[in-house]
Order: sequence, then structure tokens, then C-alpha cells
Amino acid sequence: MDKYTQAAWIIPLFPLVAFLVLTALGRSYRRAGVFIGSLGSLAAFAMSLLILTDRLSGSEVDYNHSFDWIAIGDYTLRIGFEVTNLTALMLVVVTLVSFIVNVYSAGYMKDDERITVFYGYVALFTFSMLGLVLSDNLLSFYIFWELVGVCSFLLIGFWFTLPKARAAAKKAFIVTRIGDAGLLLAILLLFWYMPDHALDFTTIQSVFDGQSGAITNGITTLIALLIFLGAMGKSGQFPLHVWLPDAMEGPTPISALIHAATMVAAGVFLVARTYDIFQDSAAAMETIAYIGGFTAIFAATIALAQNDIKRILAYSTVSQLGYMMMALGLGSLTGGIFHLFTHAFFKALLFLGAGSIIHAVHTQNINEMGGLGSKMKVTAWTFAIGALALAGIPPLSGFWSKDLILSIAWETNPLLFVVGLATAFCTALYMSRLFFLVFTGKPSAATSGAKESSALMTVPLVVLAALALAAGFIETPWNGWFGGWLNDGAEEAHDSAVAIVASIAVGLLGIYIGWLVYGKRSVSSSALRENTPWLVRVLERSYYMDEFYAAVIVKPLKLIGSALTAFDIYVIGGIVRLTGAAVSTAGKTAARLQNGQVQTYGLAAVIGFVILVVAIVGRRFLP
Amino acid sequence: MLPSYLTMAAILFCIGLYGALVKRNAVVVLLSLELMLNAVNLNLIAFSKYGVAPSLTGQIFSLFTITVAAAEAAIGVAILIALFRLRGTVNVDEFNKMRR
Amino acid sequence: MSILSDIPILSFILLSPLLGLLVILLLPKQRSGWMKTAAVITTLVPLILSLWLYTDFDKQQGGVSFEEQHTWVEVPLNKESQNGVSEFLFHFQYELGVDGLSLPLLLLTALVSAMAALAAVHVKKRWKAFFSWFLLLETGMLGVFLARDLFLFFVFFEITLIAMYFLIGIWGYFKRERAANQFIIYNGIGSAIMLVAFVILVNTAGFRIDQVGEQVSFIYSGSYTDIFRNMADPTAWVNMSPEQLGSINPFLMTDTMQQVLFIMLLVAFGIKLPIFPFHTWMLKVHTEATPSIVMIHSGILLKMGAYGLLRFGFLLFPGQARSFASLLAVLGLINLLYGAILAFRQREFKLVLAYSSISHMGIVLLGFAAFNEIGMQGAVFQLVSHGLISALLFLIVGSIYERTGTTELNELGGLARSMPFLSGVLLAAGLASLGLPGLSGFVGEFLSLLGLFESMRWLVAAAALGIVLTAVYVLRAVLKITYGPLPERFGALRDARLVEAVPMIVLLAFILLLGCYPSILTDTVQLSVEGLLKPLFATRAGG
Repeated sequence: MDKYTQAAWIIPLFPLVAFLVLTALGRSYRRAGVFIGSLGSLAAFAMSLLILTDRLSGSEVDYNHSFDWIAIGDYTLRIGFEVTNLTALMLVVVTLVSFIVNVYSAGYMKDDERITVFYGYVALFTFSMLGLVLSDNLLSFYIFWELVGVCSFLLIGFWFTLPKARAAAKKAFIVTRIGDAGLLLAILLLFWYMPDHALDFTTIQSVFDGQSGAITNGITTLIALLIFLGAMGKSGQFPLHVWLPDAMEGPTPISALIHAATMVAAGVFLVARTYDIFQDSAAAMETIAYIGGFTAIFAATIALAQNDIKRILAYSTVSQLGYMMMALGLGSLTGGIFHLFTHAFFKALLFLGAGSIIHAVHTQNINEMGGLGSKMKVTAWTFAIGALALAGIPPLSGFWSKDLILSIAWETNPLLFVVGLATAFCTALYMSRLFFLVFTGKPSAATSGAKESSALMTVPLVVLAALALAAGFIETPWNGWFGGWLNDGAEEAHDSAVAIVASIAVGLLGIYIGWLVYGKRSVSSSALRENTPWLVRVLERSYYMDEFYAAVIVKPLKLIGSALTAFDIYVIGGIVRLTGAAVSTAGKTAARLQNGQVQTYGLAAVIGFVILVVAIVGRRFLP
Repeated sequence: MLPSYLTMAAILFCIGLYGALVKRNAVVVLLSLELMLNAVNLNLIAFSKYGVAPSLTGQIFSLFTITVAAAEAAIGVAILIALFRLRGTVNVDEFNKMRR
Repeated sequence: MSILSDIPILSFILLSPLLGLLVILLLPKQRSGWMKTAAVITTLVPLILSLWLYTDFDKQQGGVSFEEQHTWVEVPLNKESQNGVSEFLFHFQYELGVDGLSLPLLLLTALVSAMAALAAVHVKKRWKAFFSWFLLLETGMLGVFLARDLFLFFVFFEITLIAMYFLIGIWGYFKRERAANQFIIYNGIGSAIMLVAFVILVNTAGFRIDQVGEQVSFIYSGSYTDIFRNMADPTAWVNMSPEQLGSINPFLMTDTMQQVLFIMLLVAFGIKLPIFPFHTWMLKVHTEATPSIVMIHSGILLKMGAYGLLRFGFLLFPGQARSFASLLAVLGLINLLYGAILAFRQREFKLVLAYSSISHMGIVLLGFAAFNEIGMQGAVFQLVSHGLISALLFLIVGSIYERTGTTELNELGGLARSMPFLSGVLLAAGLASLGLPGLSGFVGEFLSLLGLFESMRWLVAAAALGIVLTAVYVLRAVLKITYGPLPERFGALRDARLVEAVPMIVLLAFILLLGCYPSILTDTVQLSVEGLLKPLFATRAGG
């Protein structure tokens, strides 16, 4: 039943062709551009669905096809694609969100003069992301990993005339590049340690099965941590998360596509792809779990104090990515991927909803909004579904995946269970704050003239809302089908009543408090600010991470740069000048012989001639 | 016989060389050059008469040399006169304008 | 075999710019358009021929192909004949040939020269002299990569120096004469050291005995083939100690001599490369010369240093090179980081690019220092890739300067609004330069580091820092120019003209091709130099 899977390599080609056509067409064909871009992602989505049906209908063999990219002597570097259950799932998620965002952008970006460029970048991104998902080895994975990074960079800086967008794009690229350097080193390590220098995931799986012992424990840990460094950069884990909130300078559909649903999840996907390496090293697993847990609570608390709607969602994304990482670190591949899957839908929904709001009110500050619920009904309802899903309220999708992670934490690591619960509480709180401030209350100056967005923008919202509602039922405490499918039957359903009750309780509690403060306004929202101003300020400034980096890394780097520049000019240049001066002095001294007197020259010639004669004739008399 | 001719030529040449390098008066320098040329001529003739393979070629060459020397002297004196008109002196020490 | 082996194709490539030079000399002085056309057409000839050569090159055969040999200079030495030896000769040949190392660089030279000729539209004065020197320069560069004789190599190397001297000194910017002087002094010193090393090589390793019938001649040969064979052959005169020979051996090269010679070659070519403390001259050249000349300088002339180091340093003295591996690696690392940090602090775009060249040449050194096939491949790949990328970058610099009249980063900004095409290409070139996969820079960088990782882990970890820094300085400069608000006075600037766009697209296409399909280069380099590299790696076992 592999008739579609064999053609999986075609999937990335659709958006690639779309990108090439869009680039060749230029800017003038606005409508055609939108059409071509959407068509490319639609075709890719259709193809991915077919492949998913292939996988669902029970083909167990992973499809793999690869070819030599570079062959040097005995070493070969290969490029190839592979379809497993995990990649089939990711294919569908990526192409679906990409298609929805394509449709949505037709409305959102309608008036932008560079809309075809935008569609071209989105198509290029979709191509790279699909290539990344399909890669069968770490090298081709890395290649596409960098490409998605650069697409993200291009799209963050899409409105390039704004200095803030420029700074955000640069920051995103450089911070993720730090992680990428780690991933690169991991690949180099693997290349030299793996038998036959193989880099493909299948071989990695068989080498790191816990028994072979081909690679020592220390090296395994090192490799795992370096890979995780790469994942940290892309997936915004502490302390490399700083770029993700700034990335919100890009157009909102991009925040939904790249910085919520797909690219930032690539780090989680990477860890899942190389999970066998991590499972071989307890230290690495623990590191991931704790960094993930810390990121989750850290970002969730920041989100509480932000006022920019997109920044709240961005910190929420960071926090949820931390959740996924924590699940992976606790040993649950299913938990991580399941949450990735559900999160992709409801977070894309939230971002697109936010885009719809921003489109209507032209501000991003939630304090300037209010009363939008009656004016934008579709947006409000779909946003509510997304917010509830994120807050983990049953039976929405977010509940099931969050519950799975919490129940695993309950069984393995009580500390992280508490952290997870606290995060869930914060999540519910900031989402209810966001919702009530935006949609309830009195209309403000900015929102009084707001109208519901066009169908091009609301239909995607409805589709995503349906998915956010339903996507969770593939894995419930009573039905571990998804985990079984993903792991070939290796994992069983986790069923912990404590976790279920606790997660529902904190979720409801968070929403209730949020409603009290921001909905009913029976508790003053400024009470906390008045009592502990330092805490609010610290949260608003995101724990001063940017300032910290500026002081610890950027400044010293600039200082070193200036010092070395001075060194280059004065020391090295000085030595050069000194040498030059010495030569020129010597030349001036020698030039004194040149006095313009023909007779002196003649004398010199005669002396030289005599020396020659003596040398030639005199040699005969030597022994 | 050859050595005495050669010695004679060598002495003439050395006198000429000395004069060319030491004398200040440009006319004397020119005369010294002639002296050296004639020393060479003497050598040529001596070899053509008493050399290992005597031949008339040497004497013919000395005729050439004399012609060339005449031309050289003419040009040299012409330059000298031009210089004298320009600078008012024939002292070679003062002819160092080529230095710059 | 094809018809290429029947005609003296290499001579044709080498001399075709000179034919063009003659044509240009005959054109009237004021007809700049005619001269530009003639120059461009002339540079296309070696490009097409070397492309043809590249496709026709037999990768399976290995070794030197398309060889041509003619006796060029023979200096008989007035030594008394003894023991039946009839003559002593200094023997230099007009000997051309290509192998897997020189062929990609030859193609690069032809390509970048043609693109630089197109970029010379910005030249404003004395066209006849400009294009004459330009074409002479091209012949020199082609000759450097084609020559198989030490003396011939040296002559072509010097031709490039002289041509460059005038090209910098006459057509550069304000401090052009200073730059030209510094260029000629530095490189002159390098050449002098190289010449001394070559003379020693010819007098020892170049020694060869020819016997035709009764006539036995002792020959001091400048032929690379002879010298390479003798250096590798333990029974050759150059390697025989007096104990083995039983008598005094005037041709013996002791270990100390070999070491000294290697260091001399390292310095001579290191100046050109440039290796860390010798880099100041090239900063001046980068900033003062006219962009089409800097394209050639940064794209090709720096590569001549690396090529010479590989060809004469590493391949002739494998043992010594190996013992210097850690030094080379450290020098490479210094180049990489030092260049990157300084590039980060420059306010002038051309200086950023100059330091970036230093940084990228560091990667070449790292690849060399790996002493395995992957590293070597990576280094060669990086040479070609950096040649293309830096040529492209300076092409863009030329176009930007032409329009804005400045390359100061603080004065530029927002050009993507008025010149989307130019800015797009600049961004692409910047991304290629920082090693984005899919573009050629990544492959060279990756292979070099991969190779080096086998022996020097920690160094590579430090080099990974360089990768991050590269992203920092490239993005800082490129985004400063293209992104952000557009200053008012640049509002009316026009985007690239066709004559500027064509070379950009061609170079970008090559960068993309190499990035996506690197085998097209690595296969050529691989099989043909395997034989050459063997002695280099054989020393590994012995220490």
C-alpha cells in the first residue's frame, strides 16, 4: 500500500515550483501570485493526505530513498528522504497550516505592494520545511534546517523599512545560528564516531539502541546535548528564546505559520527524530526535561505581564514548546509530538485570530482594545475555542495533550509535575486576561469602528477551530491509539486520575481569576502593580534577558572588536610602517652614492671590473 | 714582440682611464677617451701581426675604430660646446643635473 | 579522446587575451564602447574554452591532462666535461598542463575575468590602457594556473603583479598610489622569497640525467613533474645522503633545508593568501582599487596564494607540511576569528568585505591543516566558492558606489526600496558568504571543518564560534545597506542595468549550482589529485 508514499519526494517540489514561478513573474502579477502560492501548498497538502492514508492503512515499512551528494574517497555524504509515521504526520500539519495561512494572507496582505514577494517567501519556507520533515539523515536535515531559518529571517524582516523589523530579523538569525553551530558540531561528532560515517536516522536508531556500545556514554551525552542546543535555538528554549518574541515584527500570518505551528516545532521534531541518542543518555534526558520545564514556567510568567497581543502569544508559544521538550525529556515521545500536533492548530488559530483583530483595530496593545466580542463574532468565538484549548479545558484538543504530559510527569518527576501545573495555571490566567480585555468590556477609541474581517480570513479561522476542537481525540487516557501508531505499539496510554483532576482544576481556576479581574472587574487589575511594582516590571521586561545579553555578550564583543581594530591599525600597521621607514632610510643612504658625477660612476664601474678580473683570474691560483 | 706592444697599450689605456676619471676639464676627458680608444687600436694591430692566428681583420677593425672615434669626438665636442654655451663652464664637476 | 587533445588548447586559452590586447591597441583611443565590447568578447574566449575543457576533462584518468611541452630557455653551464658527461644545462620549458587542482581554478579565473570585464563599465578614463593591462593580467593569471614549470610559473606570477600595480595605481580611488606601492612591495618581497626557494629547488630537486645514445647531459630542470618525482623518490639524488651514496652529494636536500624551504614557501604564498600578520596590504587594495579590479584581486589573486602553497608547499614537502599541521590550523583559526571580529567593527563596507576575505581564507587553511581528503576537498571548494562570492560582492559594491557615491555603512540604508534587484542579489551573496546551505559557501566550510574535526576537535569547536560571528558581521553590513529607512537623497536611484545584472545572475547561478550539486566540482578534484595527495597522506603512518 505504498503507492503514494513512493512519490513523497514530489511534495516539496510543489511549493518550490510555486516559489520559482513567483520569483520569475515579479511583482506585477498580484492575483496570480496569490493563486500560485496557494495552489502550491494545496497540492502539497493533498499529496500529504494521501501519504497519511497510506500510513494509516497499515504499511509498517518506512519508505526511504537517498543518493550520494558528495563522494570523497571512502567517505560519502548522502541526501535523501524518508517517510515514517512521524514524518507523515508532520507533512500533513505543515502543508495544512501552510495552505490555511496562504488563504488567510490573501485577505490579510491584500493591500501590501509586495504581496507576490510575500507569497514567494512563504512558498520557499514551505518547501524548506517539507524538505526538513522528509530528510532521512542529519546532513540534509541540517541543510533544510538552515533554509527554514533563513526564510523565517526573510519573513520577519518582510517590512524591511522598519528598523525594528530589521533588528528582529537579524536577532532571530543570529540567535538561532548559535544553536545551529551546536547542531553542526553534533553532526561532525556523529560523522566521525558512527560506524561507516553514516548520518541517517535509521542507522542512528540501530547504533544507539542502548546495547551496542559502539559509542561511549560521554560522547553520546555530548552529541545529545549539542543536538539539543540546535533544538533550543530553533524552538526558543531558555536561554536562546529571546528572538522569538521579537520575531513578532513579521506579518501576523507568518507568526502563525512559522513562529507557532511549524518551524519553532522543528526543534521538538529534531529531538524526536534523534530520540534514540537521547534515550541512551540519562543526563541529556534530564537536561532536556529541566530546561523544558523551566522554559515553560519562565515564559508563562512573562506572558502574564505583556500588553502586546502578539508578544503574549509568542511567550505562550515559548512556554508550550517548553512543555513539549519537558515531555520528551521525561521519556514520552508521544506526549511531545502529540502536544506539537494539537498546539500547531490552536496556536495557529490564535495567531490568525490575533491577525484578524489587528487588521480590524490597527493596534497590538490589548489595553487599547475591548468590546470586540459583539463586533467580530466569528473571530471572538474561534479565538475563544483556541484560548480554551490552550488553557487545557476538556474536551478541547489542548487538554488531552497537556494531560498526557502532566500524567507522565506525575508518574516520573513530581517536581516537574508541579512546574507543569503552575504553567498550566499561568497559561489559563494570561489567556483569560487576553480574551476578556480584548473581547469584553466597553469599546475603546480604537475598536469602535472595528468590523469583522472578510471571509478569506474568517473561513481559515473556522477550519482551524474545528481542528482545535477535534484533534485531541486521537489520544485520550482511555485510548492510546496515537502513541501506538507513532511508536509502532511501544507505548501505552497513561491514565492518571490525579493529573486529570489537577489539570482541569488549575485550568478552571486560572480562567476564573482572569474573569474576576478582567471580565467582571471585581478585583482591581492594578492591585498587584501597586503592591509589588518590581515584580511587574521584571516580568514586563522579560526578566531583563535582552539587557543581560547586551551587557554580557554584545558589549564585550564590540569592545574586543574595537581593541583588535586598534591592534590592527597601530601594532601590525605600525610594524609595517616601521619596516617601510627602515627600507626607505636605507634607500636614501644608498642614494648618496648617486651624485650625478659621471666620473664617480665610471670609477665604480672600473672598481667592479677589477674585482671581476681578480675573481676570475685569481681562481686559477687557488688550490 | 707582442708583450711589449701589449704593455705599451696597457700603459696608454691606464693613462687614458686615469685622465677620464680624474680630470675636471671636459676637453681633457674627451682627449683621454681618445687615448683609451687608441690603446685598443694598438692591441688590435699587435694581435693581427703577432697573434696566434695573424690576420688582416684586426687592422681593418682598427680602421673602423678610428672612424668611430672621429665621429665620437665630433659629437662629444659638439655637446661640449652646447654645454659651454648653456652653463659657461667645461668643468665636469658642475655637470650633475642628471642627478634629479 | 576528443579533438581537444589534438590542438594546443591550453596555449590557446593562455594566449587569447593577448590577441584581444592587440586588437584593442589598434582601436582608436576615444572609442570606449568598442574597447569594452572587444574586451568582453576577448574574455569570453578563454571562458568558453575552459568550460569546454572542464566538461571534456577525463575525471577517471587522473594526473595531468592536455599537456604541452616546448623547450623555452636552455642555459649551458660552462663546466668542464668529465666522466663522459657532455653538457650541463639549466633547462626551462614552456610546459602547460591541467589537473584536478588547477582546472577548477582556471575555470574560475576565466569566469571571474569575464564578469570583471563586464563590470568595467564603470571605468571612466584611459580605456585603452585599462583594458590592455586587464587582458595582460588575465593572461598572467591563466598562466599561473596552467604553468607546469617553476620558472614559467614565476614569470606569470610576476606579470600579474605588474599589471595589478598599474591597475590599482591609475584607476583606483584617492589613495590609490599608496595602495599600489604597498601592494607591490609586499608581493615583491613574497616573490623574492619564492624565487630564492625556486632556485634552490631547481638546483637540488630539479637535477636530472638525460642520456641520448652516447651523449649524457646533466640537467637542472625547472619542470614541476621532474621536481615532484624527484622529491617523492627516495633513490633520487636529492634524497640520497652521503652515506648511502658513498661520496659527496651536491644535490642533497637535508631535512633542515626542506624545513626552511617549506617555511619560505609558506611565507611567500602566505603573503598572497594572506595569512594573519601579512594582511595589511590587501586591506588597502580592497578599499582603493576600482571594483572590477577588486573582483579579480579578491576572487582570483588570493587563490593563487593558496594554490601555490598547495602545489609547491604541501605537495613537494608533505612531511614538513604535516609537521606544521597544528601551526597551520592555529593560523587558520586566527585568520577566521580575527577577520570576523574586525569585520564586525568596520564602518566601511569594502573593509568589511576585506576582513571577511581574511576570515574565509582562514577556512582554507583549516581545510589544508586537516591533512585528509575531506579537508583538502573542502579547502579547494572554499577557494572556488569564495572566488565566486567575493567577485559577486564586489560587483555589487561597484554598482552601489556608482549610484550612491559612498560605501560607508552609516550613510547607506534602505536600498531595497529603490533597488530591489540589487539588494536581493546582495542579500543572496551575503547569505552565501555566511555559509547558507544550498549556496556554495556552506559546502566548503562544512567539508573543511568536517575534515579538520578528525584530528583537532577543540579547534573546530572554536571555529564554530567563527561561523556565528560570520553571520553577525555579514548581516550587520548587508542589512544596514538594504534594510531600514531609505535616505531621501537615494530615493530616485535606478535598479541595476542589464549589463550589471547579467554578471550578477551568472555568478549567482554558479554559486547556487555548486551549493546544490557540489559533486560537479568535488569529483573533478577528487580522482585526479588522489595520486598527488598520496605522498601527503602516506606520511601519516610514518609520523
